[in-house]
Formats: sequence, C-alpha cells, structure tokens
Amino acid sequence: MAPRKAAGFLFLMLAALADTLVIFIAASLTKPMQPALDTFSARTGIVVLRESGGSLEHARKVTELQRIPDLLLLADADVFPRLLSPRYTTWFAEFARNRMVVAYTAKSKHASDITSANWYELLRGKDVEVGRTDPDAAPVGYRTVLMLQLAERHYRRPGLAKALEENAPKRNMRANAAELAALLAAGELDYIYEYQSVAESNGFRFVRLPGEIDLGDPNRAAAYHDVATTVRGSSPGTSMTVRGEPILYGMSIPTAAPHAAAARRFLEYLMTPDVLRQLRAAHVDMLDHAIVVGPGAPPELTRGARR
Amino acid sequence: MELDASVLETTPPARQPSAVLRAAIAVVVALIASVFLLFVLAPVVGLVAAGGGRGLSSLARDGELRASLALTALTATIATLLGVVGGTPIAYLLARRDFRGRSIVAAAMELPLVIPHPVAGIALLLVLGRGSPMGGALYAAGLRVAGSATGIVCAMLFVSAPLYVSAAREAFAQVDARYESVARTLGDDVWRAFRRITLPLAARGLTAAAVVMWARAVSEFGAIVILTYNPKVASVLSYDRFTSFGLSEALPVAAVLVLFALVPLAALRALRRERRA
Amino acid sequence: MISLQLVNAKAGSFHLTDVTFDVPQGSYGVVIGPAGSGKTTLLETVAGVVKTTSGRIMLGGEDLTAAPPERRRLGIVYQHAFLFPHLSVQQNVEYGALSESIAADVAERFGVMDLYERPVASLSGGERQLVAIARSLARRPEVLLLDEPFSALDPRTRTFARRQLRALYYERRFTVLQVTHDFTEAGLLGDVAIMLDKGRVVQKGTPEDVFRKPASPYIADFLGAENVFAGSARPIKAEPPDWLETAEDQVTEMPVAFTTGALTFYALGDVVSGPAHAVIRAEEVSLSAEPSTSSMQNQFRGRITEIVPAGALTKITVDASGTPIVSAVTARSVRELSLGIGKEVVAGFKATAVHIC
Repeated sequence: MAPRKAAGFLFLMLAALADTLVIFIAASLTKPMQPALDTFSARTGIVVLRESGGSLEHARKVTELQRIPDLLLLADADVFPRLLSPRYTTWFAEFARNRMVVAYTAKSKHASDITSANWYELLRGKDVEVGRTDPDAAPVGYRTVLMLQLAERHYRRPGLAKALEENAPKRNMRANAAELAALLAAGELDYIYEYQSVAESNGFRFVRLPGEIDLGDPNRAAAYHDVATTVRGSSPGTSMTVRGEPILYGMSIPTAAPHAAAARRFLEYLMTPDVLRQLRAAHVDMLDHAIVVGPGAPPELTRGARR
Repeated sequence: MELDASVLETTPPARQPSAVLRAAIAVVVALIASVFLLFVLAPVVGLVAAGGGRGLSSLARDGELRASLALTALTATIATLLGVVGGTPIAYLLARRDFRGRSIVAAAMELPLVIPHPVAGIALLLVLGRGSPMGGALYAAGLRVAGSATGIVCAMLFVSAPLYVSAAREAFAQVDARYESVARTLGDDVWRAFRRITLPLAARGLTAAAVVMWARAVSEFGAIVILTYNPKVASVLSYDRFTSFGLSEALPVAAVLVLFALVPLAALRALRRERRA
Repeated sequence: MISLQLVNAKAGSFHLTDVTFDVPQGSYGVVIGPAGSGKTTLLETVAGVVKTTSGRIMLGGEDLTAAPPERRRLGIVYQHAFLFPHLSVQQNVEYGALSESIAADVAERFGVMDLYERPVASLSGGERQLVAIARSLARRPEVLLLDEPFSALDPRTRTFARRQLRALYYERRFTVLQVTHDFTEAGLLGDVAIMLDKGRVVQKGTPEDVFRKPASPYIADFLGAENVFAGSARPIKAEPPDWLETAEDQVTEMPVAFTTGALTFYALGDVVSGPAHAVIRAEEVSLSAEPSTSSMQNQFRGRITEIVPAGALTKITVDASGTPIVSAVTARSVRELSLGIGKEVVAGFKATAVHIC
C-alpha cells in the first residue's frame, strides 16, 4: 500500500469525523502562528492539521506528490509564480514583510563591536565564521546574494559582494533557515545572513541593515530590481535569473483544496486586528491589508485589499 | 465371545483433521511471509525500476553525482572501520564479562538508535562543534567538524555504531566461552585466545554486523545534513534535487545509490559462501 | 598437588562457598555431586577461568590464586570436546603442545594420529573426545582437570580412553581432579573423594570413608553403595583380547580376582592388574546361615557386628576375616534368620555385583 494512499485514507477518516483544515506553513511562521491556529480550532471546532517546512519543500509536495493542502502559508511569495501557478493556484496574497539582517549571538566574535556601519568590514575578516543559505535551495539564499550586491552599490565598495560571498563558503551553507539558525545557536558560526523574523524568534541579536539594501521595503521595489543573480533553474542543467524584489510572505488556497470553505474562514480570522496584533508581537511584520495577485481570490481577502 | 463390530466402526481416523489444520497454517504463514517480503522489496524494486536506468546513464556526465557517491562510500567506510575498531572491544566485554553497570552500558550503546536523527545531529554539534570545549580544541588544531567530511563520519558513526555493537555482541555470545577457557589452559593469554580462537569463530557474525553498520551509514540523512550540508553525500544530494527539481531528479540519485550499495553487499555474501566451502 | 583453602567463587547462578580440600601430588581426586552442585564451576575455578572472591588456591606448592589460567600448568577436558572447529585435528592437538613430537606421541597413544589430516567436523563424538584428551596432555600439564570426560562416549571408546588415561597417569603421575555425578562413571575411584553439594564440600576423605561412612543420609542415598574396598585386582585369564576386535557397543568382561585384606572376590570387568577399588551395594549381599550351593561365587563366613534399621531395610555389618561387609535385608529376614549381634552367618554376593573401579 503506497504511503500516499494511506495518508489519503487517514485524511478521509478525519474528514469524516470533523471538518479539517490542512495547512502547509513556512517553518519561520509556525511558532508565531500556533496560537492563532489553536484559537481558531477551539472556536470553530475545525481540526487544524499543519505541516511545517521550507517553501520549496511544500511546493514540491504539491507538484510532485500531488498532496493538495487547503492553505499554503509560505515565507517566499516567489514560489507561487515560480512553481505553483497556474496549475495549482490561480492567485496568491502577500500578507507580511520581512527583511535581511545579519544575525549573531553574544558568543560571536566581535559581538560587542559590530554596528550597522562596520558590519561589512568585519564580515570580510578571515577570523569570523559566516554562514548563509544555499541560493539554489531556498529563496533566502539568493536574496542574501542580491542583498550583498545592493550593499556593494550602497557602500560604494567594488568587489564587496564577491568578498562577502566567499567569506561565507560552501561548508558554512545550509539548505534552509532553520538549520542555519541551529548552527548559530550552537556557536558553530559567528554571523549568519537571515530573515529578521527568524533572527527575532530565535532570540538572536541582529544588525539592522539600511532599507536600501535589506529588500524589506515594498516602496523601494524599483531600486531592488536593479540587481540580479543566476541560480539553478527548475530542471537540471537550466539556470534562472532572479532579480531583487521586496521580501513578502505569500498565501494561497489551492484550486483543488478539499476544504476551501474552512480555509476561507481561517483567512478571514487571520486578518482580524487581534490576530494581526498578536502576530506582530511575535515578530511577523504583517501588512494591514493583503496584496492580492491574480484572479479568483475569495471575497474575504479582496474585501478591503489593495491590488 | 462375540465381538462388538461397532467398536471397529466408531474409531475415527485420528490423523486427518490435524493434517488439514497443519496444511492450513502452513499456507497462512507462507502468505504472510510473502506479503511481508513484497512489502519490503516492492519500494526498492520500484525505485530502481523508476530511476535506475536514468541514474546509471547520467553518471558519465553528472560530476556532482559521482563525487557524492564517492564521498558517501568513503565516509561510510571510514565510519564503519572506526565503529569496528571501537565497538568490537565493547561488544566482547558485554558478551563475556558480567560487570556492574553492564546493563547501563548496553542501554547507553543503544540510545543513539532512539534519538530522532536531526536531534542527533544537533547533539553532535553541541559536543563537537566549534562552540564546545572538545570541538573548540579540535577547531583550534585545524580540524573542522561541521561542514566537512569529518562531520559526516561523526554523524554516520553515531547513528550506526549501536547496530554494530549489538550484532557483534551476539556474534561473540554465539562462541562458547569454553573454547576460550580451553585455549587459556593451553597457554594463551586473553589477547592470544581472542585473536586465535574467538575472533576467527566470530568472524562471520562480525562481518555481517559491519555490513549492517555500513548500510545504515550510507542511508543516513537527518543527522548528517545538520552537521555537513556541503559537501553533499548521496542522501543529501537526493533530497536537494527533490526540493529543487522534483521527484524525477531525486529518484535517479536514490536508485543509483541502491544499485551501487548492492556491490559491496553482494560481494560480502559471496565471500561468506566461499569461506564456508 | 591441588590445595584449596576456603575458596569462594561465583559464576552465573553457580557458586562455591568455603571450599577446602587437598589432593596430594600425583594423586587422583574425584569430586562427586548431584547436577547443579557446582562441580564444573569448581574445576573452572581451579583452572583460573572463574575468579575467586576469597580463599587460596595452591597448585604444585605455589600460591596461584591470582594467576591467569595460562600460567597454571594445567589441562582441562570437558564433557564435550570443544575442539577448535576452524583448525584441523593436528592443529588442535599441537595447540599449546610442548613440541610437535610430544603431541604426536600423545596422539599416537590415544589412537588419533590417523585423524590428523581430517577436519574437525568429520569426526565422531568419541574421536573428538580422544583428540581433546590428547590435546590437553600434549602440554604435559602438572594437573589434569576432567569434567565427566567419558560420559558422552560409547562404551568401547570409553574403555579405551579410560585405560590409556590411567596408563599415562601411572607413568607420569600428574595430579588429577575428576568430576562426576556417578561414581560408576568415574572409572577410578582414586585416592581422594570430595562430595560437593550446592557449592559446599559436605564430605571428603578416602573413597572408603566417604562411601562407607557417609556423613548424612542424603550422601548415603546419593552414593548408594555401602561396601567399598581398597585392594588390588588382576585378571584371572590371560590378557583380554585386543579391544579393537570387539563389537562396537560391547565390552569384554573378563573374570577378575580382587584381593582386599584377607579376602579375595570374584568379579567381572575389564581391568589391568594393579590397585583398584571394589564397590558392592548392600542390597546385593545376602545372608544365610550356611553357605548355599547357588551360583553365588563369593561367600564368606563372618560374625555380625552391627545391626542398623534403615527404613524398609536393615543394614547388617558382618566381619569376615577382618573385612566388614554390609548387607541390606528386610526386617522379615532378620526375624527368620534370628539375626543378632555376634551370630555367625555367611555373606554372599555374585561376581556380577562387584563393581571394580
């Protein structure tokens, strides 16, 4: 019996007992989102089954394994146009922001000296261990590269991007943000390039980077667009060019979602002021209104949303 | 005296029902065994069928895959050698000597099996990573654990050594201690008796144990990926390709790994049969 | 010589408690006891395979309590051969031997030289045990430990092995400690008998003392033989035919004359001339007022010196020319014959009732 069938059977069984909601959620959103999920479940009686993981991993579960959730909450809205539309989703909504920071701990070398003015000099040094995510494996990886390019322009230091990239070599690379964070927490690394939300929820210190380079300001989209890098494409041997974009969390209800109604109820609940406040307190930079891209989004979202 | 003929009639053929029952049981057992065997074999066969051809044909041009397979083989072999060297004395002690705390040591040796693999990787990081006393010393001496082949070997060793120790212990237990007693009275000290008698008699079991350990090391993912993502062993590469490109790219890597692991496993089987002859 | 002083040891569920005994240099010691009494543990403690928790072990006059087995100059033969399966017969015999020629010598004696090239797995049980005995003796040990070495053998091999071992023992006079659960199996009662029960020495002494004056009813029951005589035996006819020619499972029993004190018994057995013991169960000795003309080959006149009721039977000791013979008769017979202390009777027993060992 294929595991897929067994899982499907389990879903059906649970669905028969009570209304369920299956959510594929980004790793960095899991902890902040848990209270909201619990409250929603308690209020409505809907059983929430959440699966936590990387954005790409979730996408692959949908496209390769045909496992369609009711709701996708991903840390990189990029994944929707790249992999999931139009076949599995027709729309997605950007609902929270994020930005690149340089995270560190009290144990890190030069922890007491580093500032937003000198970080790019210190992180060039051979005496520090710097880590980043694999650009080919996760969006945060290529966003790091793009941020470094923006930094080179911003600080007017030719060659800075390459130097900083090389000083965060392959052996210090990991496939996703969670593993990278684990290395920093264990003291294996001194500094990592990371999302602010991840840095905050792990309790790391971080260096705030200028808005011009941190990919965090939607109003600076045009400036971000100036830098580009090449990453592995979606089939072997191919490559893709990605340009700088503001970092936004994205969500969507797949077209074939089994419990679309329950998903819409949750989205409605998610965008209420109380939940927004709670999520912001948990270091998720929620937008006041979701930005919907593409047709077919439910009224719960389009109501009051900007295009 | 008249014999009561009915006595002869009423005696039922005593054997028949139990023969039917026995046959029925045999059939049921055979069925269960077949289903079980199928359950274990089908995914493997399916995997090789789905990706084996492509995987093998891609070996020529896929340098990353070749490097990954070589790295996997090398690190698994080193880990197994270390496991055999370190684990054999422990296995022997556990099998032979009844010392205080024996059950604690035995249980401790089995703990790594219970720990979820990513957690195992983190635990190793805490002990061998740069930030720890031991790891810090290694780092200062120039030996980097995380992000290197050393880290891979450590992760493999940690998760698979318990399998070796437990199987090796059983192999030693199968060798009657009285062989050693006799050898001792014939002039051998502990080490000589072990070398000349115990080891040869336990060799088959020990080899089987080492093979199991090697196979386990080759397939490990969760503990390794935390310690060392780059360079990528086959399991990490397979997963990386899955997330980046999808199933169609992940399957060939896994299929090639299975096919390529068959070689040492089959070779060892042949060796054992040879020795028996 | 083997000397144990208050030895305590533990091996798994078997233990020894305050075991003390001496087997003089060149003597033959027999350890008798029921299953589970710790006999094998005792041998392994003497061998040094099992560690003592307290007490002293002296071998050949040296305190070897702390010495490892390889330095104790002893050999051990278990009930099963434990031949090293991955080595040939030759390699087994030569394992630890003083020299190849000595090994060959011993192998020759025990008839296993022809098996030299054979792999161990192809040998029969009897052949294996012979190889094992040869292996232990090729090292010329000063002490030989035997754990019921003959009990698993077929009668023919058993006789052969016993005889060769005895011959070698008389030649070299090493010290022997043999363990058995049945004295009839021992083959040679030896000079020192040690009764072991639940890890303790419950009685020790010469076989006559232990058998004739068992320290407890339990021992008496276990041994089951009240008449033990030390003496010498010799075959009456000419030397028995070569044992090789007898049928596989039969042993030639030749008439034997056994002399003890002033008496000579007729017995059957396969013996070589020399010192031996004769053992007769009291039940096999019958009493009558006059010598009977029956087929009882052994009849001796004597006076009753002791009458001891023992359950359903009464044990009557008759002094026959200075040799005490114990007979067990029913109370009814006591009345019928009006047996009493001092009465003159004839004690008789068949030659088949005399067990020579």
